[in-house]
Amino acid sequence: MGKIAIIGYHEVPTQINPERTRWDILEEVITGAVRNAGIDKDDIQGVINVAPQAQPDLISQTAFGLIPEHFGLKGVKDNMICNAGGASTTNCVRMAEQWITSGMAEVVIVPHTTVQSDIPAEDLISFFAKAPMHPEWEFPFGMTFNGAMALITERYMYETNTSEQEMASVTYALRDWGSRDPMSLFFNKPQSMDDILNARKISTPLRAKDCNMLADGGGCLIIASEAYAKKHCAKPVWKLGHGSAFIGATPAVREDVYWRESYKKSTSEALQQANLNVDDIDIHEIYGAYPFSQCAYVEAVGLCDEGEGARYHAAGHTLLGGKTPCTTMGDATGRGHTGSGVSMAFYCQVARQLRGEAGDNQVDGANKVMVVTAGGSGMNALTTIWGAE
Amino acid sequence: MTELKRPLPNISKESQGFWDAVQQDKLVIQHCHSCDSNIFYPRRICPHCWSKDLGWVEASGKGTIFSVTTTYLGTTAEFSDELPITVAWIDLDEGVRMASNIVGCGPEQAKIGDRVQVVFEKANEDFKLPFFKIVEA
Repeated sequence: MGKIAIIGYHEVPTQINPERTRWDILEEVITGAVRNAGIDKDDIQGVINVAPQAQPDLISQTAFGLIPEHFGLKGVKDNMICNAGGASTTNCVRMAEQWITSGMAEVVIVPHTTVQSDIPAEDLISFFAKAPMHPEWEFPFGMTFNGAMALITERYMYETNTSEQEMASVTYALRDWGSRDPMSLFFNKPQSMDDILNARKISTPLRAKDCNMLADGGGCLIIASEAYAKKHCAKPVWKLGHGSAFIGATPAVREDVYWRESYKKSTSEALQQANLNVDDIDIHEIYGAYPFSQCAYVEAVGLCDEGEGARYHAAGHTLLGGKTPCTTMGDATGRGHTGSGVSMAFYCQVARQLRGEAGDNQVDGANKVMVVTAGGSGMNALTTIWGAE
Repeated sequence: MTELKRPLPNISKESQGFWDAVQQDKLVIQHCHSCDSNIFYPRRICPHCWSKDLGWVEASGKGTIFSVTTTYLGTTAEFSDELPITVAWIDLDEGVRMASNIVGCGPEQAKIGDRVQVVFEKANEDFKLPFFKIVEA
């Protein structure tokens, strides 16, 4: 049992839907999560909002307290916003833990929304092409987020002798999970290996199906103290461990090219804190946003030998029914990319799996889940471990 | 000449020496006199020892492609006239890695391990960028 728990969550489907505004989504996910937790809104004592990428108005509004005011949260003592790129939700949860364990709060909400489809496509491409790239040493050479991840993938395939088909099997696995997840942009849209291999080229070796489609979405977590969770929640999802490793901002100059070493550090730290071994983990949820990261992770935690990650996926081990189900909502590749909100989607999925609420993607007997998130262009690896009991 | 429409680097005080050298067809690398390390990209202090005793060493301009990609889609509009564009990480012989473009060959022709040599090409009338061409091993 941990010191904090997720006691409620709610998520809207990831879609391209500009009619659904940022505040529409916030209203749905915050009220939905409070109702899911079965608590009184005035029990909420803290609001920690995930800073949405490319949403400057919403960042200002939520940083300066509009959420507790808008929702009439009478018990709130403090409000803040966190931006660590795609690792933001993990940091929000950790800040909530600090507020709770320091005695400042018993219940903290962590909401997030991103609406990207009402932003002109050109502006959005420009933002996401530039945002994680070094403005002087990468961007003037035409480097994009996709391009940087393509360079890592190309080198990975070269060093590990991974074939195009083997690499595509990782995308296949992610799209397979996504096709059965009603929250995914690709729900009910199964992809064949041919679909993936014949998709148009973006940055070699990455094709369109390997890259992230930008979309809108949102979610909310209710984080509570151990005492509050025991008293008010029938199915709390306990935080058991946490690990962190920073790699560096600029992909071109990183020593840890594939993020393997940082995955090793952060997962071993989290496992040690949780007093668990990797064999105790039922599901591995990996937010790396591109297929190579799924390979590097399974190698780093020892699920397969170094260099065998894509072949591990090709053998079907990471699929539903496989020996180590991985990334059961499909990562950004199989879900759609909602700015810094993909990590929110991961945590909602952790709660679903541990409560037995993951529908067609439910892993039987899921009791321990390890989730790793990364920010920027992969600046860090933040690992948390969660348990149902 | 055809001017490139791509965005040019925002030059800072600490990187001025690098770009000044490029305009004179030279590739230089920042060097820390305190710990004798080569540094890329240029910074105000040495990331290894925090010394501010920094200078420049002239590089051979030779290197090896560590990784390479040909981008067909997804860049900002300023690059659209140049697509497809070949982007690479290049390990310079002086022990640092930098990003640049491979020029003088078609899409998907450059490969990991290819030896390359710096070339200086005009982005516009007033400014050059350091690109790389494949050379015989």
